[in-house]
Amino acid sequence: MGDLMSLDQLMKVPGAVAAFQYSDKGDLVEHTIREGTELTPQVLDLLAHTCVANMAIAAMEGKGWEALTGQPGFAPLQGFSLIGLDWSTVAGGNHGVVLRNRDVDYEAAFAALSQCNE
Amino acid sequence: MRIISQLMAIPGVVAAGEYAFRGDRYSYEGHLSPEAARMASILCRANTLSVNMQTEILDSFAEECGCKPAQGWIVRGRAVTVCVIGNIFCFIQNKEGLLNDVMTVMRAKVGDIGDDMMMSMYAKIGGDVNEKLY
Repeated sequence: MGDLMSLDQLMKVPGAVAAFQYSDKGDLVEHTIREGTELTPQVLDLLAHTCVANMAIAAMEGKGWEALTGQPGFAPLQGFSLIGLDWSTVAGGNHGVVLRNRDVDYEAAFAALSQCNE
Repeated sequence: MRIISQLMAIPGVVAAGEYAFRGDRYSYEGHLSPEAARMASILCRANTLSVNMQTEILDSFAEECGCKPAQGWIVRGRAVTVCVIGNIFCFIQNKEGLLNDVMTVMRAKVGDIGDDMMMSMYAKIGGDVNEKLY
């Protein structure tokens, strides 16, 4: 899916106020911010870095958990969400979306992200 | 009814628990061995501290942007998802509708997490917590 088309799809997730694409290192590549929100490209860039860091840690923990407990189901990692006071960031692959908590639909966000990263 | 029991009553919830701020004390229900529950508690506490640090940094870039304090986090695996709000964790199957239902229950029952929780978590380090945090 094209980058801008992916962001358009992510902005259709209920509660979406921003969508972004980032490099493997976490640098912001493309972004869309809904007008009237407090988010800035600088915050999205930082968020993108946290997404990469958190997903790397979660992937490590998932693999370790499976090896230590014998319980499958974690790997491969599908995504990570950081839940803030007013909004949540949901990330998967090289895309992320910021959702207002009062309208949030985590499952729709993870589903949209998996489509973006196909 | 305690929140752990309420979560366990939802079909598709594998395990739910509550970890103490130190991370080495916990209570739980569900399909986890005591050792796995101990590891889950430590893992959840470490990740919670990490996302709190991240929202502190985000807030310094854009004050009052709505991220701070962190409320929790979700890890979505292939077939299992881990949800954490405050010091409550929940392992669930990836069944349609379940993640949103569980998150709604957790947010409603735990309520908004304030800065005081982080103070409590750091307090176990000892010394002047305010000085260490701020």
